[in-house]
Amino acid sequence: MKLRLIYLMLFALIGTTAVAQVDRTEAPEPAEPKEINIAKPYTFELKNGLKVYVVENHKLPRVAFSLSLDRDPILEGDKAGYVSFAGQLMMRGTESRTKAQLDEEIDFIGANLSAFSTGMFGSSLTKHKDKLLDLMTDVLYNPAFPEEELEKLKKQTLSGLAASKDDPNSIASDVRGVLNYSLDHPYGEFTTEESVENITLEDCKKYYQTYFKPNIAYLAIVGDITPKEAKKLIKSKFSSWEANEVPSFEYETPKAPEETYVALVDREASVQSVINVTYPVELEIGDADVIKARVLNQILGGGFSSRLMQNLREDKAYTYGARSSLSSDELIGNFTASASVRNEVTDSAITEFMAELIKIKEEGVTQKELDAAKASIIGSFARSLESPQTVASFAINTAKYNLPEDYYTNYLKNVNAVTLEDVKAMAQKYIKPGHANILVVGKGADIAASLGKFGEVKYFDRYGVQYDPNDRVKIPEGITAQNIIDKYVEAIGGKEALEGVINIKTVYEASVQGQKLTLTSVKNNKASKQAITMMGMNFMSTVYDGSDVKITQQGQNVPVGEEDKKDLPIDAQVTPELNYDKLGVTIELAGAQNINGKTAYGVKVTMPSGKTSTQYFDAESGLKVKSVVTNEGPNGQSMTSTTEIKSYKEVDGIKVPEKMNINQGFPMTAELKSAEVNADLDEDTFKIK
Amino acid sequence: MMRKQFLAICLFLIGLTTYAQEREIEFTEFDMDNGIHVILHQDNSTPIVVVSVMYHVGSKNENPERTGFAHFFEHLLFEGSENIDRGEFDKYITNAGGVNNANTSNDRTYYYEVLPSNQLELGLWLESERLMHAKIDTVGVETQREVVKEEKRQRIDNQPYGSILAEIAKRAYKEHPYRWTTIGSLDHLNAATLDEFMNFYETFYVPENATISIAGDIDTEEAKELVKKYFADIPKGGNEVPRPDIVEPEQKEEVRDTVYDNIQLPAVIQAYHMPAQGVEDSYALEMLSTVLSGGQSARLYKSLVDEQQKALQVVAIPFSSEDPGLYLLFGLPTIGGSVKELEEAMDAEIQKLKDELISEREFQKVRNQVENDFVSGNSSMTGIAESLANYHVYYGDAALINDEIERYMKVTREDIQRVAKKYLTEENRVVLYYLPKSQENNQ
Repeated sequence: MKLRLIYLMLFALIGTTAVAQVDRTEAPEPAEPKEINIAKPYTFELKNGLKVYVVENHKLPRVAFSLSLDRDPILEGDKAGYVSFAGQLMMRGTESRTKAQLDEEIDFIGANLSAFSTGMFGSSLTKHKDKLLDLMTDVLYNPAFPEEELEKLKKQTLSGLAASKDDPNSIASDVRGVLNYSLDHPYGEFTTEESVENITLEDCKKYYQTYFKPNIAYLAIVGDITPKEAKKLIKSKFSSWEANEVPSFEYETPKAPEETYVALVDREASVQSVINVTYPVELEIGDADVIKARVLNQILGGGFSSRLMQNLREDKAYTYGARSSLSSDELIGNFTASASVRNEVTDSAITEFMAELIKIKEEGVTQKELDAAKASIIGSFARSLESPQTVASFAINTAKYNLPEDYYTNYLKNVNAVTLEDVKAMAQKYIKPGHANILVVGKGADIAASLGKFGEVKYFDRYGVQYDPNDRVKIPEGITAQNIIDKYVEAIGGKEALEGVINIKTVYEASVQGQKLTLTSVKNNKASKQAITMMGMNFMSTVYDGSDVKITQQGQNVPVGEEDKKDLPIDAQVTPELNYDKLGVTIELAGAQNINGKTAYGVKVTMPSGKTSTQYFDAESGLKVKSVVTNEGPNGQSMTSTTEIKSYKEVDGIKVPEKMNINQGFPMTAELKSAEVNADLDEDTFKIK
Repeated sequence: MMRKQFLAICLFLIGLTTYAQEREIEFTEFDMDNGIHVILHQDNSTPIVVVSVMYHVGSKNENPERTGFAHFFEHLLFEGSENIDRGEFDKYITNAGGVNNANTSNDRTYYYEVLPSNQLELGLWLESERLMHAKIDTVGVETQREVVKEEKRQRIDNQPYGSILAEIAKRAYKEHPYRWTTIGSLDHLNAATLDEFMNFYETFYVPENATISIAGDIDTEEAKELVKKYFADIPKGGNEVPRPDIVEPEQKEEVRDTVYDNIQLPAVIQAYHMPAQGVEDSYALEMLSTVLSGGQSARLYKSLVDEQQKALQVVAIPFSSEDPGLYLLFGLPTIGGSVKELEEAMDAEIQKLKDELISEREFQKVRNQVENDFVSGNSSMTGIAESLANYHVYYGDAALINDEIERYMKVTREDIQRVAKKYLTEENRVVLYYLPKSQENNQ
């Protein structure tokens, strides 16, 4: 005790004599925390019901206008996507300005302007604000909805969907919505190729006419403008906007599952499994639990130092990242814990997820974890206030969700007040390891068997529709690969008819990200020729004259390997399936698959070069529906190309693929333009030049 | 006619005065005895503070046999110090509710933290530890070598077109150290000894090579004292900090080459030598890039993407730097389109700029866009802290944070035409075709 006193005195002495001495061995203590003041916006309402919030901030000579509509979520049904289309189309031309004119006028004042289904956003330097509002209100009042822009948008959306169709994260996100909310709920439905095709210009116009109304709109004005100026400006530009009643909707509240089970989306090509442990959560925006639940989630899976990240990444190295979220929402929120992990540790990773859920529910958290979580939440809250937009959104949320007036002013006080007991109570209320959907998107053949320990394993397709794998995707006993090939030959016209075909010429038109390609193919059982052209220019061509071959790509010769040459006589066949044995092609059964809700039998085909592909044939019709080829890429990585045959067309008694979706790293759709059977071919059709 | 001209002159004058009247970013600066330059910007509207230190060292200061050092230090200097245990640097910041990061260019290295403002002192302590006695040992070097390898794999090797800058740089520069990129060579890093790392630290991480920039909720006087408290007793390095004085000889003829890479779509890149940043012509070239690719109405986008549909994407990017840099044009042809045709179309757009003055309206549009971007650059504390440091380190004039816009506004339509003619010439450029690997061995 005495020693310590002397020590302290010495310290004090040093302190007074040598000012420059700093104790570097310990981190300095923080100063008194500053009070966080949230400015109160100036608000007013126009006669038409438009509510306006002005946040004055003269630091920079800029001003931003953000308009948001408060409407109930909409169930779009078989036209899912039209609501988003309506918003995007508004920016593609008005009654008096084409898209190009609009673009130029926005750029001319160095401004930003965008429209979306639930509002608009525009910003510019203060001195251009009048012009900006002219453009903004022109888009708001007079969008032209040009037909050709709808077509362009559909095309862009379809190529986006084609790219995401097989993406495991998109699959997980779509199916998660279905599992948590069902397809009949606005949060469960999603845009598909079919629903995009169903969207009409009328749907978009009607949406715009119904919902872009001032009586459900909030306008936030943030930046270098006084309330007085703002009021004058808004009155002059927005008073003529006419109010009208907007429909409201109610939906049944989705429930968490009775019992935890595994929802498996079987994706053959997966080397990683996407895991989501998820269920709907009844937690309304502004509820007293929201802040406490945020602290809970921060500790469980909210950041780099969270339990899930530390366990699954730092300790076990199963994944690059594991996290969780617990969302509040006016209709229904959700809890989701997620990670992407290697196939072979899928079940081990789920075991860790479930163990962490049970642990936090039963044991709660430590004081150290609680303090770190609070610091992190407070820090990010403070940083968010730097943007004056945050202040406006606080005010609008307070009005939209009927929050107490001081909800955001008291936010940090309430974060600080959260106790260990609160966090435990939240865990017991909202963490439900016994009532979860364990969604796994992964390779069923590798992982399905190990998932039974977490609950019943149910199979879902990519669209969230459940199916029974035993019923539908098993090749019945007794069926051989040759049976399947024979049935296919029968289905496309029969042996006799096919043997009578001495040549065939097909032309397909394909579209890749909006670009049109023409694919031409001619075969006469001995020789073959294929060409891809684009806007009249030759992009790629292959000519095989029965002995020699020439491949050119963009005018340059591509060398052909000796192994690859072995397969050329087979590619020259109109129907190689007729003579696989004579051609040196071997076949074997490759298991069944569910393809777009139908069972298809797989046949693995090995060419003389050793190259293999798996072809799938519809169990009922016998027609080929899909083929998957895996090649070795330039760096030894495997590259898969997939062709799905969507429909066939009958030409002179034989069936020819009509619509195809091809994916060779980028998605492409192809449609049959013409097919000629036993045509009069020029002598030099197959001549190598 | 006369009247119209008069009106235009009036408008121009009004224009000039408006720029002068815009709100200024206020700041205080001073030099410490050991040579550290300190810049403080006080803004008490939000209780956060950005603490940053910029070191005037980048990849151009490296030994050609040891490239990648400057960037490697950006990793190594998070390992800890005499008073901060390994791995604790980040934890101090996250536990205080802050975030942090760092970045390296050809010319300088920058470290910063965003903290709740009552933790200003924590930020200063951490940064002073980094400068005074960072932990440089075998364990740290080994660990960070692995991390940098991963970073290179992820950001360059595994990224389509990720090698563009490296491929361009080594062809555009024969003498100047800009011929290698900041990530440098892993072989060099592997070959380097601990002594070499220590030596680099002692040469460049010295007070006279450091600029402290602090922006946010501070009291300027109080912050000054705190900076002195943590930094005043760090001794001067004492030796002159070496700076390369190599002048790249003028390029006399076009360099043209093909690179085969793991890509689906081919690409064409043109890189033109441009003057050093801050030089008058470089402002004209910056405005020229807005003419070409600023927004959906810009020339390259409108003509090549929208109208002719020859390109999926085409952009002009001036890489301004302390020594003469490069002006890049990058184009991705539409699927099936040829790179050659796209290049011809790009050249045609450039030729147009040389042949015809841009219209008054287009010129005004570009001025408005440049002004908007300039003003918006100062919308956050992190942006202000970094800009103040950059302006001081490069020009010795932090006030350019307010005044540099005048240099842009001095540029005339004729200047834009003139720099197009002067710099965007065949003999002054490197042209690379990026083609998919599948097309290699064709000839």
